Amino acid sequence: MSDVAFPRLDTRVLADDGNELRFCSTCAFSQACLDQGMDKAALGELHVLVEHVGPFRAGDHIFREGDPFEAIAAVRAGTVKTYVVDRDGHEHVHGFHLPGEVIGLNAIDGDRYPCNAIALDTVMLCRFSFPKISVLATRLPGLQRQLFRLLSRDIGRAALLAGDWSADQRMAAFLVGISRRLAARGFSATRFQLTMPRTDIANYLRLAPETVSRVLRRLQEDGILSVERRELELLQPDRLEALAAPILRD
Amino acid sequence: MEPQSIAFDAELLRRYDQPGPRYTSYPTAPQFHTGFGERELREVAAASNGDPIPRRLSLYVHVPFCESPCFYCGCNRIITRDKARGDAYLARLYREIALAAPLFDRDREVIQLHFGGGTPNFLSPAQLGEVVDTLRGHFRFSDAADRDISIELDPRFVDADDITALGSIGFNRASFGVQDFDPDVQRAVNRIQSVEQTRTVVDACRAGGFRSVNVDLIYGLPNQNPAGFARTLDIVADMRPDRVAVYGYAHMPHLFKPQKQLDASLLPSPDMRLALLQLAIERLTAAGCLYIGMDHFALPDDELALAQARGSLHRNFMGYTTHAESDLLGLGVSAISHIGDSFSQNPRDLPSWQAALDEGRLPVFRGMRMDADDVLRADLIQALMCSAEIPVRALERRHAVVFADYFAEALARLRPLADDGLVRIESDRIVASSRGRLLLRNIAMCFDRYLAPTAEPSAPRFSRAI
Repeated sequence: MSDVAFPRLDTRVLADDGNELRFCSTCAFSQACLDQGMDKAALGELHVLVEHVGPFRAGDHIFREGDPFEAIAAVRAGTVKTYVVDRDGHEHVHGFHLPGEVIGLNAIDGDRYPCNAIALDTVMLCRFSFPKISVLATRLPGLQRQLFRLLSRDIGRAALLAGDWSADQRMAAFLVGISRRLAARGFSATRFQLTMPRTDIANYLRLAPETVSRVLRRLQEDGILSVERRELELLQPDRLEALAAPILRD
Repeated sequence: MEPQSIAFDAELLRRYDQPGPRYTSYPTAPQFHTGFGERELREVAAASNGDPIPRRLSLYVHVPFCESPCFYCGCNRIITRDKARGDAYLARLYREIALAAPLFDRDREVIQLHFGGGTPNFLSPAQLGEVVDTLRGHFRFSDAADRDISIELDPRFVDADDITALGSIGFNRASFGVQDFDPDVQRAVNRIQSVEQTRTVVDACRAGGFRSVNVDLIYGLPNQNPAGFARTLDIVADMRPDRVAVYGYAHMPHLFKPQKQLDASLLPSPDMRLALLQLAIERLTAAGCLYIGMDHFALPDDELALAQARGSLHRNFMGYTTHAESDLLGLGVSAISHIGDSFSQNPRDLPSWQAALDEGRLPVFRGMRMDADDVLRADLIQALMCSAEIPVRALERRHAVVFADYFAEALARLRPLADDGLVRIESDRIVASSRGRLLLRNIAMCFDRYLAPTAEPSAPRFSRAI
């Protein structure tokens, strides 16, 4: 298991642009190549679509609600938060997007982005023109399957927190989810930084900020995890998984 | 570790007696710059609220006034007998509290409140009570058993009734300046203070339920001699304070103007200073005190000693503390804050501090953001100061570095200290030996990025190690 704690933003990550044969290690589409054994030509076609953008700094907007939709983007480094602001001016956090995950998918139906995307730390993106990747997907079944997979995952995650779950269960599901997602991208599953502020976690989980801290403090006292500033270590992932199981349904 | 094992090696101490920071912070205050102001303070405070479990708060309140000048003083203070100045000061202080409190989420509890000076008891118990009440109105004070409200007191200007009043307000720790009971020394430093005055207020703290009493002594003062200092040490040991601090007097009149009033020809020789320090160590340890580190001793059942044994001792601007990492908010003229990975300081002169508040601004005039290297070195120096060892493996893990590579230069600087037996370099840790424990700051200096070994300033900015 990897012991590289997220987010490790070193020059190696930033410089790794990949090439036709080997996309960057965190690429959202690497799965498409690996599963389907894409040939050299197909990979080349996908690669020329990729436009590396960034770095965005913490607080920079990547797109805003209402901006014309042109592209989806895969997070290559850092964390992106998507959110909307309601009529009363209250923010609602839609989600946090970690390396290898795609933002902009919910804009496909319509020609404008339906939410805001903001960098929570130093963010690097791989941008794909949506018209072009759609055309390419009609010719590359692997790519199409990957796009559907990403869409499905996006929908599934939003439904996750809709149930009548306890604060402990929500927090556990959130942490287990992050742990699994980071592990899938080659980061440590047990040590990572929570790059989003407490208010965002609370907003996303529909808890009060004090409750976020209270639950984490209790989990810490129980020896399940330890928190030092924004650094988190899962000491007993099994117990956290058990707590999260009803939500994650696995 | 064994907190009491210190060896006094006069020849070694003489050789290593050079100017160096006391590392109540790293980086030290000379690294603060005016590019860090109110906006930056607001940013770091907001970021500190974003931690999943935001740190608890420590508050420091600086009271700059003294009724009488002590000639050894290196603190930021104003000599006055005009009590009206206290009220004017408090009016501004309350404005600062009202400006600063909203920076922090309301659920962040205050675990420690400390009054320093100057002379905090320049203010009456009623005034101090009003300050505590005002702070309680703006912050949530922890109900935890270890929540402390502490104060530095000048025994000459406080009586048993005052102590009782402070106890009822919630003060539970007191620190008394004594320095030396020797009349010749007291005259030379312009601080005449009887044993009886001191004993009365120490006893009053006990009766008033204070959790601990600290006594400050100073060695290296004019006219000081072993016979007189030995008497002082015996009297202090007999009072059984829970903690004793023995500071080395740093004569730096170019930095601290009050010291110009002191007759430098009466200062003890370097050898005499060492003899006085040795005497203090011998008498205090014989009286059952444990050596905590730097200048501090504590009785074995005091929380500092217990925390050190547990490995949970910390060090901040107020010295050693049992309170695990908290964000420190300094209030009042010259006060220093340590929020997240930042330091910031209020103006050191009263007019600038007042002017900022009168304009409705947070009165920060300088500070700094620590970078990853600062954070790593601060972690290392903190561990060294609190447990007399550098936990190599833990630091590698916490900061994702290869210690031997990252600190190659520092380790080269440490080599002669190892050869002299100050430290043992093991594979997993670097341990200060019993001979090195009195020279922790020399060991720390090897790891201080800001101390260029060749660029020794002609007039030292830091006090001597011993």
